Amino acid sequence: MMEEGLLNGFKKRWQQTLYVECLFYAIGAAGLVYLVSQNIGYTVLALALAFGVSLAIIKPWKISVENAIAYLDAHVPQAGFSSGLLVLPPDQLTNLSKLQRYRIATQLQPIFSKLQPPHHVMRATLVMFGLILLGLAARFVGTDLGKASEGNTSPKEIQFAPLDSLSTSLEIPTLENTVISIDQPDYTGIPNARTTNPNLKAVVGSTIIWQLEFDGEVSEVTLDRMGELFPLSKSKNNFTLRQKLEASGFYSFSFKDSEGNAYVTDLYSLEAIKDESPVVEIEDLDQYSYFEFDEDKQVSLNTIITDDFGVADAFIVATVSKGTGESVKFREETLRFDGTFPKGKKRLQLQKQLDLDQLNMDPGDELYFYVEAVDNKSPISNISRSETYFAVIRDTITDDFAVESTLGVDLMPDYFRSQRQLIIDTEKLIKDKPNLSEYDFKFKSNELGFDQKSLRLKYGQFMGDETEMQTAPGQVSEAEDDHDHEEEGEEDDPLEGYSHKHDTENEHNLVEEHDHGEESEEEEEDPLHDYLHDHGDPEASTLFEKSLKAKLRDALSIMWDAELYLRLYQPEKSLPYQYQALKIIQEIKNSARIYVHRIGFDPPPIKEEKRLTGDIKDISNVNKKDTFDHQLSFFHARNAISRLEELVQAQNEFTEQDATLLQNAGNELAEKAVVEPLKYLKVLQGLRDLNKVSNRTMENYKTVRKNLLSVLPKVENNPGKENRYMDDINELYLKELESYD
Amino acid sequence: MTDGTMFLNPKLLVPVLLGGLVLWAIFIWKEWSQRNQRRFWIKLIVSFLGILSLALLVLKPTYSTTATFGKSILLSEGYRPKQLDSLKSKFKRIQIEEYTPGKVLTSVAQKDSLFVLGYGLEPFDLWQVEEKTVTFLGTDTITGWASIHHNDVITLGDELNIEAMYQNPVQGNWAVLMDNGGNPLDSVSFSGTINQLVEFEMVPKASGQFEFALVEKDSDGEEISTEPIPVQVIKREPLRILMFNNFPTFETKYLKNFLAENGHEVVVRSQLTRNKYKFEYFNTTANPMYQFTQKSLASFDLVILDTDVYLGLGSASKNALEKSVKEDGIGVFVQPNTSFFRQSRNTSFISFKPDGEQKLSFGDPAHTLVKFPYDFQDEFLLEPIRMDSISVAAYVPRGVGKMGTTVLQNSYQLVLDGNQEAYAMLWTQILNAIARRKEQNEAWEGLTQIPRIDQAFQFRLRTPVNNPKVRSDRTVIPLLQDVLVPNHWEGAAYPLKSGWNQLEGSLDSITDFSYYVFDDSQRWAMSKLSTLQANLRQFGNRNRETGKINKTQKREPISSVWFFVVFLLSMGWLWLEPKLGN
Repeated sequence: MMEEGLLNGFKKRWQQTLYVECLFYAIGAAGLVYLVSQNIGYTVLALALAFGVSLAIIKPWKISVENAIAYLDAHVPQAGFSSGLLVLPPDQLTNLSKLQRYRIATQLQPIFSKLQPPHHVMRATLVMFGLILLGLAARFVGTDLGKASEGNTSPKEIQFAPLDSLSTSLEIPTLENTVISIDQPDYTGIPNARTTNPNLKAVVGSTIIWQLEFDGEVSEVTLDRMGELFPLSKSKNNFTLRQKLEASGFYSFSFKDSEGNAYVTDLYSLEAIKDESPVVEIEDLDQYSYFEFDEDKQVSLNTIITDDFGVADAFIVATVSKGTGESVKFREETLRFDGTFPKGKKRLQLQKQLDLDQLNMDPGDELYFYVEAVDNKSPISNISRSETYFAVIRDTITDDFAVESTLGVDLMPDYFRSQRQLIIDTEKLIKDKPNLSEYDFKFKSNELGFDQKSLRLKYGQFMGDETEMQTAPGQVSEAEDDHDHEEEGEEDDPLEGYSHKHDTENEHNLVEEHDHGEESEEEEEDPLHDYLHDHGDPEASTLFEKSLKAKLRDALSIMWDAELYLRLYQPEKSLPYQYQALKIIQEIKNSARIYVHRIGFDPPPIKEEKRLTGDIKDISNVNKKDTFDHQLSFFHARNAISRLEELVQAQNEFTEQDATLLQNAGNELAEKAVVEPLKYLKVLQGLRDLNKVSNRTMENYKTVRKNLLSVLPKVENNPGKENRYMDDINELYLKELESYD
Repeated sequence: MTDGTMFLNPKLLVPVLLGGLVLWAIFIWKEWSQRNQRRFWIKLIVSFLGILSLALLVLKPTYSTTATFGKSILLSEGYRPKQLDSLKSKFKRIQIEEYTPGKVLTSVAQKDSLFVLGYGLEPFDLWQVEEKTVTFLGTDTITGWASIHHNDVITLGDELNIEAMYQNPVQGNWAVLMDNGGNPLDSVSFSGTINQLVEFEMVPKASGQFEFALVEKDSDGEEISTEPIPVQVIKREPLRILMFNNFPTFETKYLKNFLAENGHEVVVRSQLTRNKYKFEYFNTTANPMYQFTQKSLASFDLVILDTDVYLGLGSASKNALEKSVKEDGIGVFVQPNTSFFRQSRNTSFISFKPDGEQKLSFGDPAHTLVKFPYDFQDEFLLEPIRMDSISVAAYVPRGVGKMGTTVLQNSYQLVLDGNQEAYAMLWTQILNAIARRKEQNEAWEGLTQIPRIDQAFQFRLRTPVNNPKVRSDRTVIPLLQDVLVPNHWEGAAYPLKSGWNQLEGSLDSITDFSYYVFDDSQRWAMSKLSTLQANLRQFGNRNRETGKINKTQKREPISSVWFFVVFLLSMGWLWLEPKLGN
C-alpha cells in the first residue's frame, strides 16, 4: 500500500510541523522567562509548561489520515476530491474507483514530497523572537533599574581594584570565579549555602570557605579582617580560605600579581548572628505560693520555652528545704515535665503538676523550683533558667528567733548539716546496720562522710581556708558531683591520702606547733614574718581570736578523722570524733557570742587630754590632681567633615595629613561599626577609598561627607567660652544700665 | 538758586566787571572836559549801558523758565504685560525702555514723567530718576522665600534656629532642611496660607563653614528650589573654673565630675576644717588659692561658690571678686541654700520672691527636679536662664561680667536617674550664660543683606586697632572711619565668586571674616521683594496710570541779540552825538 504510506507520511510530516510549532512557542516563552528571571529552573519549568499548553491547544496528535485526505482534497487539484480512495483497500473498490485511485496515486506521487502541510511555523517563529526580544528589553530595563537601585547597595560580587593608580602594560589578573560556601552549624538546620555575594551573614560558629579562582599569575592572596591578615592557601589558580565565624566585622581581600603590584577589594561585611539563649516563661504563677497543711497542695506549672534554633531539653529543678536554722536540710530533685517533647522544636509549651505531698513535704517545708532549658547549640549549649518560684507549706508552729541585743551579726552558717545532726544520723546508721544491705550501708556512710566534709569546709571558712564548697542551692548537685569525682580520684590510695596527713595532724593537738613545723622553712627565710600581719595567711586571719582559732583548728582536724572513718564505712569509730568535734564547736559558739560584739568599728584610742581640745595642727591640706583626656565624641570624624567641606569648596588640595585624619576617623567609626556593620560599611568604605589617589574626586568627597554626617550622633552638651567683642560703646552702655540699677 | 547760576559764564564775571569798569573809567577820563555840560551825564549813562551790554554779551545771563517733556515707560523685571498693553493703548507712541541694572537710562534725559513697571529699579540706580515724576506700578505678588533668618555664626553644640517665610506656597509642597552633606534633617509641609512661616532647629555635627540647604520639594519629592543656609560653626573653648565650697555636697561633686570629664580646667577647694582645705585640680596645674585677688582670679572664666563661701567672703576678697566681675568679665555662680534666698538686697546680688513651688519640670520626656520654693524677683537687668521657657536660673550683669544663681536643688538627681544628657544640657545652658566670654579684637558685620557677585558687599568692622587693613582677594580695601565713633570702619568689597568669600584682616591683629555670596538664582524672591519695597518707599504706591505731567523749571540764556542791539544803539548814540552838537 504505497499510496497509503504516502498519505501516512504526509500526516506524519504535518504532525511534526505542528510539534515544531509548539516547540517554538515553548522556546519563546522559556527565553522570556530566562531573560527576566535568570534562573534555569524557572526556564525549564516555563519551557515544559509552554510546550504543554501549546500542545494542548494545537493538539498535533489529533491529525489523522482523514484530516490529511480532507486537506488534500481541498488544496490539491490533482487529488480530484478522491484521495480518500488511497486509504481504502483496492479490492473493496469498484472498477471506476480503482481507476480513479490509480490515477490520483500516480498524479500525487511526485507532488507528495513537495506538498506542504498547513502550518503556522512562521507565526510561531515570529512569536518566539518576539518573546525573546521582549525578554531582552525587560532585562535591559531591569538591569538599568537595578543599577539605579544598586547604587546604594554594596557590590554583589568581589571586585578588585589596583591599590596604586599605576598604569601597567601587564595584564591584570582577573578574578574568574568566586565561591563562598557558608557552612552553618548542623544544629541550626540551615542548609549550607553557596554564594558569590561577599557580604555575608551567618550564625556564630559557621564555617565560611572562600574560593577565589584567578585568571593569570597571582602570587599571594590575603584576607584582611579588621587588621588581621589571613593568607589564602593556594592550589593552582585556586585560593581557598576556611574561617570560623566568631564575631561581626569587615573583611577585604588583597592580592599581588607577579610584578608585585597590589590589588585590593572593597570592604565587605561579615555579620555574625548570635544564637540566643532559650527564653523560659512561666505563666500564671505567683512567685510565692503558700499552702495550709490541710489544703490540696498542688502547683500547676505552665511553661513556654522558645529558642531561635530549637530547644534540646527542659526540666524543673526543685529543691526542698526542711527545718530551719542550723538543722536545715536540702534535697534537690530534677523533675521532668509531663509527657515527652520532640527535640529541636523552636517553641515548646510544657506542663507539670507539682504535688507537694509527693515531694514528701511537711508543714514548714519550702520548695524552690525553677525551669531550666537547654538549646541545641553545640558544642556548648546555651542554658537559661526561669526565675525561682517558691511554694511553702505553712508551719503549724513557729519559733521566733530572737537575737541577743549585743549580737550584731549571726555568724554561724545556716545551710549545712549540723554536727549534732550528723551524730544522730550516724547513730541511726549504726543501729540500722543489720537491716541494711551492704551497699546501702556503705552508701549512707559515705553520704554522711560527705556531709561531715561540708561541715568541715564550712567551719574552715572561718579559719580563712580556701573552700570549693558551693552554697547556692541551684548548684548543689554540681558541687556534689565534683566532690564525688574527687573521691573517686582519691580511691586509688584512700587510706594513705587520709591517714597520713590528718592522723599526724590529729596527733599534734596543738595546732600552732604543727603549723610551726610546716612553715619553719618559710620562717627562716622571712625573719619579718612574726612582725607582719599577713592576711593571706590563714593563720593570721582575724575573724577569730587566737584561742578560738586553735580550738576551731582542733575541731577541724577532729572532723577530718570523723570523715575518714565514715568514708571507710566504720561509723562506730567515727562517732567519738564527732562527739569531740561537737563539744569544741559548742565551746566556740559560746565564745563567738562575745566575740561578735567586737566586730565593727574599733576607734583608735584617744588620749584623754587630747579630747575636745580643737587642736588641728596635725591636720593638713589635701591635694588631689587629676587629668581627664577629654575629646569630643567622634573627634576625628567631625574634623574629617570640616576638612571634607573645605575640599568640596575647593579651598585647597588633599594632603598627607588629611589621609591620617581620615584614617583616624575610620578607626573611630570601626569601633562602632562592629555592632552594626551594614550601617557603617558605606562610610568606612568611602573613607578607605579616599586613600587611593584616583578616588580623590569631588564626587567621592561629597558622598563620604554625606555618609559621615548621616551616621554621626549629635554633639554632646558641654559648656564653653563664646566669643565677644567689647568696645567703648558697649561699656558705656553697660555703665549706663548699671546706673539705673 | 545761587547767583552763580545766573550767568552761563560765571567764571568771567570778575575780569569782565573789572575790564568794564576800566573801560568806563577811561571813557569818563576822556570826556572829563565836558563835565559841566548836561551831555556829559547823558554820555555817561549811554556809555554805561553800552559797556554793560558788552559785558552781558560775554557773561550770557540766564532766566528761569518752565518746560514740559513727554512720558516714557521703564520696564523692569517681572512687569505685567497686560499693564504694559493698557498703558500703550492709553498713551500712543509712548517711549518704552527696558531696565538693566547698573546701566544709564537713555530715555530719562528727555522725559520727565516715568512709568516704572515690574519689581522696580535697584536701589543703586534710583539716583537716575531722582528728579523725575515716577509712577511706580509694581507687579504681582512674588512667590518664594520672602525671608530666611538664621544666625551666621554659631558655636558647636548650639542649636541653629532657622526661621523662614514662604510667600504664596503651593499646598502640599514641602520645605526640607538638609545638612551640608544633603541628608534631610527635618521637613514641614505647606498648608496653603499666603505667608507660610517655617521654623527649623538643628544642631550641627561638626565645626567649619557649611552650607545647609532649605529645599522646596513638590508632593512627588522633586526639588523645586534650593536656598543655601550658610553657617559658620566655631568650636567652643574649654573653661577654667574655680569652685569654692564650705562643705562638700553631692551637687558640687557631680558638677565637678561633669566639668572635669568634659575637659575643663577645674580647681575645687572644699573646706575640711578651719583654714584647712582639700584642693582638687582637674586638667590643670596645682596652685592653691586662699584669698581672692583680682590677679589670682584673672585666669578663671567662672567662679562657683556655695552660699556660705559667698556670704562669708572677707571684704578684700569680696571687692576683688566684684572687681574681677566688673572689669575682667568673669562669671560668678552661687550655689544656693535656703539661707541664700532670705538675703537682703545689700548682701546678695539678686532677690527672690517665695512661690511655694517645690518641683519644676522641663524637657521632653519631662524631667522633674526639686527646687527651692522661690522664684526670681523680676527686676531690671535680671536675665533668666530658661529650659523650655521655665526659668531654672538667672543672672545679673555686673559691669562686663555676670553673677548668677539657680533655684534648683539637687540637680544631680538627673545623673542618678540616668539622665546624664539632661544634666549636661541643664548645666551647659546655665554655665554658658554666665561664664566669661573670650574677648575678641574685632567684630565684623555684613551690611549688605544678600551679597552677590560683582556687587558691592558693604561691611562694618569694629576694632580698636589703629588703621586696620582689610584685604579681599589680595587687594586692600579702603576703609571709611566713622566720624563720631572712631572704632567703626566701613568698606565695600566686590566678590568675584559665589559661595564662601574671605575678608582678610591684617595678620596679627584682626582675624579673617567669611561671608557668603549668593548666585543669581539664590535668594531671588528675597532680593526682588527688597527691591520692590525700596521702590515703593521711594516712589510711593501711586497705583494709577494717568501720570501727572511735571513742569520742569529750567534756565535759558537770554538771547545775545538784545544786548547787541543795546550796545549798537549806545555806540551809535555816542558816535552820533558830537556830530549832532556841531
